[in-house]
Formats: sequence, structure tokens, C-alpha cells
Amino acid sequence: MRNILRKEMKLSSSVLSYLFILFGLMFLLPGYPILCGAFFVSLGLFQSFQTAREANDIVFSALLPVAKKDVVIGKYLFVCLIEGCAFLLMAFAAVLRMTVFSQSVVYRSNALMNANFFALGMACVIFGMFNLIFVGGFFKTAYRFGRPFVTFIIAAFLLIFAAEALHHVPGMEALNAFGSEHIVLQVTLLAAGIVLYLLITVISCRRACGYFERIDL
Amino acid sequence: MIIAEVKDLVKKYPSFELKSVSFALESGRITGFIGRNGAGKTTTIKSMLNMIHPDSGMIRFFDSPLTGNEAKIKKRIGYSAGTISWYPRKKIRDIVDIVKRFYDTWDEAEYRKYLELFSIDETKTPLELSEGMKVKVNLMLALSHRSEVLILDEPTSGLDPFSRNELLEIFTDLKNEGVAVFFSTHIISDIEKCADDIVYISQGRIVAAMQKADFIRQFSVAGESLEYTMLRLEGGAVHA
Repeated sequence: MRNILRKEMKLSSSVLSYLFILFGLMFLLPGYPILCGAFFVSLGLFQSFQTAREANDIVFSALLPVAKKDVVIGKYLFVCLIEGCAFLLMAFAAVLRMTVFSQSVVYRSNALMNANFFALGMACVIFGMFNLIFVGGFFKTAYRFGRPFVTFIIAAFLLIFAAEALHHVPGMEALNAFGSEHIVLQVTLLAAGIVLYLLITVISCRRACGYFERIDL
Repeated sequence: MIIAEVKDLVKKYPSFELKSVSFALESGRITGFIGRNGAGKTTTIKSMLNMIHPDSGMIRFFDSPLTGNEAKIKKRIGYSAGTISWYPRKKIRDIVDIVKRFYDTWDEAEYRKYLELFSIDETKTPLELSEGMKVKVNLMLALSHRSEVLILDEPTSGLDPFSRNELLEIFTDLKNEGVAVFFSTHIISDIEKCADDIVYISQGRIVAAMQKADFIRQFSVAGESLEYTMLRLEGGAVHA
């Protein structure tokens, strides 16, 4: 599995997938829908799928001495690796805002969503959606990615809109907590986001392995 | 010794069908796979590599079914897909560096030997190579990990006569080392020159799978070249 991941990183990927990890730092931007950072990270991953398709990557990989399902798992591992790196950057930015900058006027007067553990949990859900809708959708054919990506864009922006709107709903203000306010709720929501991400990704990967096994290359 | 076996392979497409394709490959023998464009050669080869899924039939390598033993079997197989190029903008060296890690039988000395023999500059990208050179790169990858079976889809197409001759000599050397070489081609003279066995496919059906000498005895008219025999057979006699 280490070899197939190395192949993904060195041969199949686009450099944009790595560069777009930096969009995780959008969690530092005040007055900006910070979850768009998760979307841009996914956009970087999309570039790798495009690069890989142009390079006959799927057929090349299927000819390597690995089981066909390992080709799929390799792609998921790469996607998860990039998402994991972006998540760490987002977490770093969120922790900064929750500690050092917890009293900053710029962030306190922010009309949009605050960068906290709830936001991190939602970023996980967006990444999970990418894995489910886009990566899973791609492996239905192993070459068509237009429709899965458009579907993901719609789902991602609906999620971002919902996450941004939720704390304006009466009784849900705690979702926009600053610093360590409502910390138990925040940690619970982050844990729920991570669990959901893992669950969705595993389900999507298993389904994609099934699809890919049936495809004629 | 039978090293690979294809038995009753059926694959139906809307406009084409592989009809109960069966043949076997033996170690230490070169088998030429001949047939017109669209006869079913590539479909058969792709089935042998688990790239496509037959509707029925069985494929076995080294006494094990391909299904369920794919990774293990593929380590012992060398495959080359003619002029297809992978990762057009990556250096050959970088591609090789990734590929060799998948094979515990990777032979660096063999790799260097073919690099020199085929005059391949490993700092070039596939984009910078001619069609013939792409074929050579694919062959080099297939030949550098001590494969026991070589499955080659039109390995001589796009090669100049000198390189073709060199390649056929390599096939003979490999055969003498016990490797089973299976290659599809349109160039009948290549088969005439080095094949021990012939598998002839026409319109998705195996017409003959036998030793070359038996094939000539059965299908050729006295004094006729193999190429002319094939032209005559494809001219209508086979399915008449």
C-alpha cells in the first residue's frame, strides 16, 4: 500500500493538490466564509484526478502487480492525506483564533462563521462529501468526473451556506462560540464531524472498489 | 509445461463477441497471436490481465486462477501495451523508480542492459519520445523484472527493422531461459522468424492454436509463405 501511495504522490498527482492545502489557512480570514477553504482544498484534489486521467494513470495502475481494489484504495489514501494536511492547518488556525486572538476585535465583530471546533467538524463533513460524491462518483466509470464534481460543488455550497446560517437561528448561537466557550459542545461537534468523515469515506471507498472491479478498462 | 491457460473465454459487446476462446502457453516457447484489427486480440489480452471482465470462461497462470490471485500472478508477468504512453510529462527515470518498487524481482542490471540496448535516455519524458521509443520503454519495463510470462500487445509495431530484429532475438534468448513469450502482431514475418506456436483468431473465434509447423502443414499450400497463407485465410476461406 505504501508503494501505491508513493505512486499517487509522485506520478499521478498535480502540484496544485499540494499547493491548495494552504487554503486551509483561510480559517484565519475574518469576514470570509472560512469553509470555502475546505472547498478549495477539494478543488486542488480535483486537479490531480484531471492530471491522472490525461496520463492514463488508471490503466497504468491497474497493470501494476496489485489487486484492482488497491488502485482505488491508493487514490483514497492520497485524497485523505491531502485532506488531513489541510485539516491540520485549519486546526492550527482555529486554535490560534480560539486562544491568542480570542479577544481580537476583528474576529469578535465578524458577521460570518467563527473559526472554532464546530467549523473544523464541518470542514470534515465537506471533505467527506468530496470523497463520497466526487471520488466515489469518479470510480463508477474511472474516467468521467464532470458530473460528480458539479454535484459536489452544489452539495459543498449548500453545506457551507447551512453552516454559516445555523448560528443565526435562535437557540443555536453556541455554534459560533469564541475561545473556550461551550467547549464540551464544540469538542462533541468536532468529534461527530471526524466520525462522519471516516464513516462516509470508508463506505464510499468500499463502494468505489466494487464499481471499479466491474469496469472494463 | 503449461504456464498460462485461457479456457472458453466469452465476452459479448453490442457489436463484437469473443467466442469461447481457448489456448495455452508453455514455458520456454514463443507464441504469436495473429488476427486482423478487431479480431479480438486486445480483448483477449486485456482479459488475461484482468482489465476487462469476461462473461464466462477461465484464466489461469501458474496453476492458479487469475481471479483472487491477481497481485501475486502479475508480479510474475511482464506486459507491454505497444505505443501507449504513461505520464507523458514525467521523466522515464521517475516512472521506473516508482514501478520497480512493486517488484521484488526487479533486476537493476537487466534494466541498465535494456536501457543501453534500446538507447533510451531515462532523463527524457514520454512526450519527447517517438512512437517506436515508447514501445521500447514499455518493453524495457516488462523485461526488467524477470517475468516468467511476457504478454506483449503489438510490441513490434512502430519499431524500425533493426530494433524489430533485436527484439526478436531477445524473445529467443528469453525463451531459452524458460520464459513464455506471447505477442500479438500484424507482422507475419515476425511470427515466421521466431514463433514456435501460433494462435490465430478471426472474428472473435480461435481458428487455430497449435505449433507453427502444424499450422503450416494444415493451412499453407506448398511453397506459400505464412504471410500469403494468412492473407488467403482472411480472404474468406476461414469462415466460408
